[in-house]
Amino acid sequence: MPAKAEDILKGFKLNWMNLRDAETGRILWQATEDLSVPGKEHEARVPKRLLKCKSVSREINFSSTEQMNQFRLEQKVLFKGRCLEEWYFDFGFVIPNSTNTWQSLIEAAPEGQMMPASLLSGHVVVETKFFDDNLLVSTSRVRLYYV
Amino acid sequence: MGLLELLRKLKASPSHEIRVLLLGLDNAGKTTILKSLAGEEVSKVTPTQGFNIKSVKQEKWNLNVWDIGGQRNIRPYWRNYFENTDVLIYVIDSADRKRLDETGLELTELLEEEKLQGVPLLIFANKQDLLSAAPPGEIADSLGLNDIRTRTWQIQACSAMSGEGLEHGMNWVLKTCSKPK
Repeated sequence: MPAKAEDILKGFKLNWMNLRDAETGRILWQATEDLSVPGKEHEARVPKRLLKCKSVSREINFSSTEQMNQFRLEQKVLFKGRCLEEWYFDFGFVIPNSTNTWQSLIEAAPEGQMMPASLLSGHVVVETKFFDDNLLVSTSRVRLYYV
Repeated sequence: MGLLELLRKLKASPSHEIRVLLLGLDNAGKTTILKSLAGEEVSKVTPTQGFNIKSVKQEKWNLNVWDIGGQRNIRPYWRNYFENTDVLIYVIDSADRKRLDETGLELTELLEEEKLQGVPLLIFANKQDLLSAAPPGEIADSLGLNDIRTRTWQIQACSAMSGEGLEHGMNWVLKTCSKPK
């Protein structure tokens, strides 16, 4: 029997998130506070050199007590509200009482096309929305500051 | 060299989406292999209680590697992740000789699954850095790999801790699925 929406929402938790230099695998920023506190926008102070990385990785870890069958996420990188990059990912099945990780690795824009840190800082938001079919399960928003 | 670089070297093919499924018993080293390929810290890997996915986007390619936990209570859920798999990677703890039979049985069951028919198979004979590790030839015999007739397969000795053999194996995986079907 499919789990009820309220059970899914109650049983879902974002545990942590991080950003890495994907060339070296080294973590440049990590948040372990509960990211799924509704409405709260998180701030990430990441070293400027993240913008010089040839490729970057974003990783997000979540738990669910309920089984889900059509789980998916939409992740957008927004600059002043404009979408610079988006990922749609279908997980499909989620095991009940599981803890799971999704990591995306992407090549950075060529250096000449990259905006300078001073222009980007504070204006870039990584927004991740999780859905089970059409039920919005969780949203996380992280605003990036390049320091 | 990581997954992105391996992808960069691939020639384009009709299919740009690659789905790799990573299975094996608990403690075989599936998650460590994935992390090691990305150059990440492997000393704090804990048993996977669900899945770990790495999505790698490169100009022409979109590679998704699905690592599903191997504990006994999770194995019944493996079947939910079979669909559209391009390559199956099965990881073996070569030093866990006591469980060679158990891992062989799990593999046999997987290879009988309808949704995995004809799917190319890579066996990672992991933990070759341990003195007690069985050599890949012995593992191939124990698993009966030489009797496989209905799919392409390969066995690759590796050590997720040192990284040895991983890229070689992944190269085979990517080449295998960049060939026209």
